[in-house]
Amino acid sequence: MTPTAGLSFKAIHYEQAMACPAAGLWFEVHAENYMVDGGPRLAMLETLRNRFPLSIHGVGLSLAGVDRPDNEHLARLKRLTDRFEPFLLSEHLAWSRHENISFPDLLPFPRTAEALEIIARNIDITQSALGRQILVENPSLYMKLEGHDWPESLFLAEIVKRTGCGLLIDVNNVFVSASNLGFNPISYLDALPQRVIGEIHLAGHSEDPLLGRGLLIDSHDAPISDEVWTLYDWLLARCGAERPPTLIERDDEIPEFAVLLAERDKAAVMMGGRLEAIDA
Amino acid sequence: MPDLATFQRDFAAALLANCQPAGPFRSLAFAVYRNSSARGAVEALRAAYPTVDMLVGEEMFTEVALDYRREYPLTGPVLSEYGGSFPGYLARQPWTCELPYLADVARLDGLWLQSFLARDANAMPRPFGGSSKIALHPTTSFTWLATPAMTIWQAHRDPWEIPELSPDWVEEGALFTRPGSCVHAELIDAAFHHLLVACAAPASAADIASAVTATFPHSDVAELLRRGIASGALVIQ
Repeated sequence: MTPTAGLSFKAIHYEQAMACPAAGLWFEVHAENYMVDGGPRLAMLETLRNRFPLSIHGVGLSLAGVDRPDNEHLARLKRLTDRFEPFLLSEHLAWSRHENISFPDLLPFPRTAEALEIIARNIDITQSALGRQILVENPSLYMKLEGHDWPESLFLAEIVKRTGCGLLIDVNNVFVSASNLGFNPISYLDALPQRVIGEIHLAGHSEDPLLGRGLLIDSHDAPISDEVWTLYDWLLARCGAERPPTLIERDDEIPEFAVLLAERDKAAVMMGGRLEAIDA
Repeated sequence: MPDLATFQRDFAAALLANCQPAGPFRSLAFAVYRNSSARGAVEALRAAYPTVDMLVGEEMFTEVALDYRREYPLTGPVLSEYGGSFPGYLARQPWTCELPYLADVARLDGLWLQSFLARDANAMPRPFGGSSKIALHPTTSFTWLATPAMTIWQAHRDPWEIPELSPDWVEEGALFTRPGSCVHAELIDAAFHHLLVACAAPASAADIASAVTATFPHSDVAELLRRGIASGALVIQ
């Protein structure tokens, strides 16, 4: 079965997921939630993996951190990927660790020549340790930082060139960043090296309670917005015939499985055609 | 433009600052990162200590968790590993003298999680024989408490029991084990606790019996062993 559109896996939806007959369905989990010694969490993932293709999405490698990736964390990720053999493995263009302190977030940095060297080194270390390619995801950005030498899409392209990694393009992150920082999301998508996009993420966002649409938050707690669906359609058209597997992400205000499946089915249909066909 | 190390040092310091950060970190946009980092730590702690959350309420738990994070920030990205020192931290807080069982309840939440995430047993159970040794199942955790915290913990994990809760102020033991996919929680007496201690290293039934009867001469060790094996807390090697 060729994976088409997938869902982030939620344990509360386990039974519906296992019974779901949708063609091309796959699931994604956060690596760090399964870095445990044993128990029902891993057993559930094992059963899911036996039924569906699985993607593992890391949030803890801190690829844009000045320190090298933590060896112990890499070893745990390797054990997980060896056991579950995910068809996709991804991390973020962000940092989340400074010295011995971790931040459960994906933090921004100025895209300088120095940052490029450090991130390329960290991706090389990661891919060597894991013995496979990883995909690197564009983050949601909220702050205007001084000192960028590169726009993000070209920075990602240069990282791909230097390391041989692939890209995970989160279309909602592109929309949120473009809205918050005032750039054109279409130009951003057009500047990406589309041939190396190995996965697409779609998710919902929310407005800051004080600033409204002046500050969008990548909250993963709402349906995917119309603007993000439109950008997704644009990106699919740029990807040509090889359309990357697409994931519907939802981490908060989790609705019924059928609601998420409907968004997933919409993405699956769009992967086979164009948005006009969906709305017609 | 500062180098990457300096930028990340300043950014990290502003994320952890107790007061409103200055300069470029004053914006509402920076507050998104500051709030997300703090919320991530608070919710990780709440997920690990749900009974403490029920006892003190959501608002107070959030305040306590933020205070705890100032002293003990996350040191790794695996959120289920955060907060191991939280029971000891609670025990040191002056305000918990009004809830003297709270730190013990936190310890029980911690033991439940330890059992839930522990490695699975490697082998199938063996029948008991002459050379058999008895050991703790890898998912077994237990403790002895100076308060009736286990009664309180169990009542809150089963909300139907809360209206009837009026525990005697006595010491209690608690046992957690996961023979299958669910954690089994049990209130245990001192003799059973002593038996579990005697099984910390694999031991023969005779050695376990000697250890238990030395302190509890009237205890029925055979029955305690049967109970331990039946619940899955003990395994025969």
